[in-house]
Parts: sequence; structure tokens; C-alpha cells
Amino acid sequence: MNRVAALLLVMSTAVVLFGDPLYAAWAALVVMAAAWILDPSALRAGLRFSAVLAILFAASITAAVVAWAEGPQRGIEIGGMMLLRLLVLTLAAAVLVRSVNAEKLLRAAQKMGFERLGLVLGLALNSLPRLAEAAADVWNASKVRHGPALARTRWLPNLGEVLLAHTARIAEEAAAAASLRGHSALTRPGNGLRSSIRVVVITGPSSGGKTETVSAVAARLRSSGVSIAGFVQPGEFADGRKVGFRVRDVTSGEEASLAILEEGRRGDFGTRFRFVDEGFRLGREALSRARSGSILLVDELGPVELRGRGHMPAVRAAMAVQGLRGAVVVVRRHLVPALLAEVEASDAIVVDIEEHGERSVEAIIDFLED
Amino acid sequence: MKDVRPWTYAALFGTLWGAIEATLGTALYLSKLPMRGTIIGLAGLLCLVCLRRLQPRPGVCLLAGCVAIFLKIFTLGGLYPGPIIGIGSQALALELALTATGGRAVGAAIGGFLALATNPLQMVVTMWVVMGGEAVRSYLLVLQEAATAVGLGNTRPEVIFTVVVMAKGLIGVAGGIWAWSVGGRVIQRLGRRT
Repeated sequence: MNRVAALLLVMSTAVVLFGDPLYAAWAALVVMAAAWILDPSALRAGLRFSAVLAILFAASITAAVVAWAEGPQRGIEIGGMMLLRLLVLTLAAAVLVRSVNAEKLLRAAQKMGFERLGLVLGLALNSLPRLAEAAADVWNASKVRHGPALARTRWLPNLGEVLLAHTARIAEEAAAAASLRGHSALTRPGNGLRSSIRVVVITGPSSGGKTETVSAVAARLRSSGVSIAGFVQPGEFADGRKVGFRVRDVTSGEEASLAILEEGRRGDFGTRFRFVDEGFRLGREALSRARSGSILLVDELGPVELRGRGHMPAVRAAMAVQGLRGAVVVVRRHLVPALLAEVEASDAIVVDIEEHGERSVEAIIDFLED
Repeated sequence: MKDVRPWTYAALFGTLWGAIEATLGTALYLSKLPMRGTIIGLAGLLCLVCLRRLQPRPGVCLLAGCVAIFLKIFTLGGLYPGPIIGIGSQALALELALTATGGRAVGAAIGGFLALATNPLQMVVTMWVVMGGEAVRSYLLVLQEAATAVGLGNTRPEVIFTVVVMAKGLIGVAGGIWAWSVGGRVIQRLGRRT
């Protein structure tokens, strides 16, 4: 019954749009009947008072213009046809919108083999609140900086730029999170860090002491005679600005430059830093020291690694070492849920150094030695 | 691991464009302000050109267009054919122009021309579908009357329509170049922030 009604709806809509006026009037009645069979509430929504009033208004204006240009009879004819067309289109749209929701569309996309498209549309829906939040932040920052609304209008182009940059930043984060989740459609499967070892995820604000915490944990473990492997990445500063990163092997203490700030130019991997092969080599060497019974220290997994580049291949190899006792991984806050979902560790804790404060090192050691 | 950034960038920039269409676009549509199509067209141009500069891969503009249409239908906008055709044709125009020119500034200018010049054409097509051919002829007659009122009585309506299309297209060229430069500044901004 519903299928026949849907077919009648489509065919009658086509007749109203492209057919003779006499047939169009009958077809419009068929459309109404079909809409009532398919979804009576759609019929009520489509023919609500305000919509009918707007349609009547538009048809009257058109009738008046055509009557003025080609005579009253033609005006009435064209106005009447427009009335029918708008009514039918409104009803067809109401039925369509009420019968197809976002979830159904996503499932259909996946069924048809457009899984990535489905995921992209899902990401779009999920990102709307974040974009709205970013837009509100940009607007509030502008309020503080530029004062009253009138003064702010001069800065509108800049606000647009900042909003576009925020959008790109959220896209970067989404890409990193998608990579971490090892989504079958957005990434090649089988690249995850699935592990049955104990994992400590260290996170916290930027320049908040994450590297110092890992270094302190390394020192404590070493003094307790625990075998450790891995590296830390202390920042390099000049005039109070971060101008690069070094990589330091936690076992040998050997250091090498890893990344250098590129002033005014784009760096490697879509970042503002130029990466140095020597740093990656030392990182690989440090990670390759992982043995059965070792605790792996990785400071940190950034967006470059989360896209499978940088240290990531060596991290994967180290995490696969049989009998590894545990791992301490540093990531930024927004990547923590995705990392935990991907690692699938049998036992894991998240230590936010801002929340744990001075107890951070104790909490990590207790967990690893428990 | 395969780089998924073109997909996420297209999703996010499509979301931004869709959100602008669903909010500012709907507000402008209801307000019946003049040049509303041009204003919203320039916003779309900015999103697409910036996206293509950040992710210079063929297809990203089309994908962003799909996302924007999806959001327009399933959020505030509803299923109105005009804006949906507009978003689709704008995404297609930018995609073709930027891909054909290898993602250069001239592509943004050509894409801007095509995207905005198709606005009046799209309006006529929608008018033809909704109101029929007679209404289109009446619209052209109204255009001629308007031309007579400003002293261009001898000009044929088709010529006036072409002039309108070209004027919009030229605004699109300027908009494309502007969007290209904004895209460059966004890249610089990201370079400083990343």
C-alpha cells in the first residue's frame, strides 16, 4: 500500500510540475491523498497555516505580475499553476523529510558501499556543536579585544580567518582521532596499538610539565632497578618561545635534535616544524631497547605519530615486544579518549598532571608496580 | 597509515558552510534583502577556496558540498530546492575550476565567476520548475520594463539578463581572489599555531 502511494506521489508530482493544467489539478489531489496515506502528520505539517499563507502570497504576486505583462486570464492561469506546484512540492518535501532521517541516510550510504561518505556525514553532525563553540569563543574574544559591537564589525574579516583556522584545527584533531581509532573506512585496518600490557596515559596542559613527569618516573624506575626503554622530548626555547624539540634516550641519555621551528613557512607533516632524521633515528634506537620485563616510555604521541608517521612505526614494534611490563604514553588531552579506545589495554589509567599535581609520579609508579 | 585529513577537512569545512547556509542563509532568505544570494555565495566561496588551499586534493570541494547539502536539509534549512541546487552547483563549479587549473589562484577566480554567475541562472531554472516557462518570460519582461525605467528601453531582456549574469560573475572573480588571499592568511595563522 505504502509503495503504491509513494509511486503515485512521485508520478503525480511530476505531472503537476511538467503536465497540462487540467491534469495538474487532478494530480495535486492524488498527491494529497498519497501524502495522507504515507504520513498524515506530514500532510498536516506541509499544509500548516503559515505555509499555505506564504504559498498563496507567492502565487498571488506571480499572478499579478503575469496579468500585468500578458493579461488577466494568463495571470490567473499561471498563478493557479504556481499554487498547485508549490503545494505539491511542499507536501512531497514534507513526506520526504519526515521519512528520511540522518541515521537512515548514513546507513544507506554504508549499505551502498559509501562507508567513508557515511562517516564523513556522521563527523559533520558530531562537529556542529564544536564549531558552534569555536564560533562563540571567537566572538567572545573579539568582544574583549575590540569592545562594542560596532567597533567589532571592522574586525569581521579577521574573525572569519580565525574561525576558518579553528575549523582546520578541529579537522586535524578529527583526523588524528580517526587514525587512533583505526576506523576501518577512514584508515587501513590493523594499524592499532592493541596491547594487553598496563598503560599509563599522561596528559595535561601544553608546557604543563608532562616531560618533567615522565623524566621523574624514568628516574624512579631506574633507581628501583626496573628496565626502561624509550625517550622523552624536551622542548628547546629561545627568548621564552618554543623553537624546537630534542629527543633524549631515557636509557643512554644520548640526545639529538628532532624538530626545528620554521619561521614564516610551513614545516613537515603539516606542522610548523622541520623534522630532523637524526632525531627519528635516535628515537627508533631508544624504542628498540624494549625487552621482556621493560617499561616503555613514550613522550609523546603527537598528531604526526597519530597519522602513522614520525615515531609511530617504532612505537608499534616496541609495543609488540613479548613480555613488556607496561607503557607510559604522553598525549594531548583531546586525544586521550581515542588513544584509550585504540590501545585496548587490559589495564590503563589516565594521569592528568594538572589534577594530580605533585602526586602524579607516585600515582604512576604505584600503578606500574602494583 | 593513510592520511585521512582530506576527508576530515572536507567534513569540517562542509559543516561550516552548511551551518552558514542554514543560519545566515535562512535569515537572509526570510529577510528578502537584495544581494542575499551574492552574500551567501561569497561565504561559500571562502569556505571552499580555503579548504582547497589547505587540502589541495581533487574532490574535496565536491565532498564539502555534499556535507553542506546534507546539513542544510537536516537542520534549519529544510528541503528547499533553490539553496540545495545552489550549493551543489557552487561546489561543482569550484571543483572543476580548481582541478582544471591545478589548484592555482586563477582557478579560484574562474571558480568564483562560475559559482556566482550561476546564481541568476539557477534562479531562472528554479522559477521555470516551480512556476513554469510563462513566469520566466514574464520575469524577462519585468527586467525589460526595469531597463526602460533607467533609460535602456531598446535593450532586449536576454541582453539585460546576460549583463546581470556577467556582473555577478565579476563579483565572483573578486570574491575568488579575496578567498584565495584569506586562505593564504589562514595557512600562515595555522603555521604559527600548530
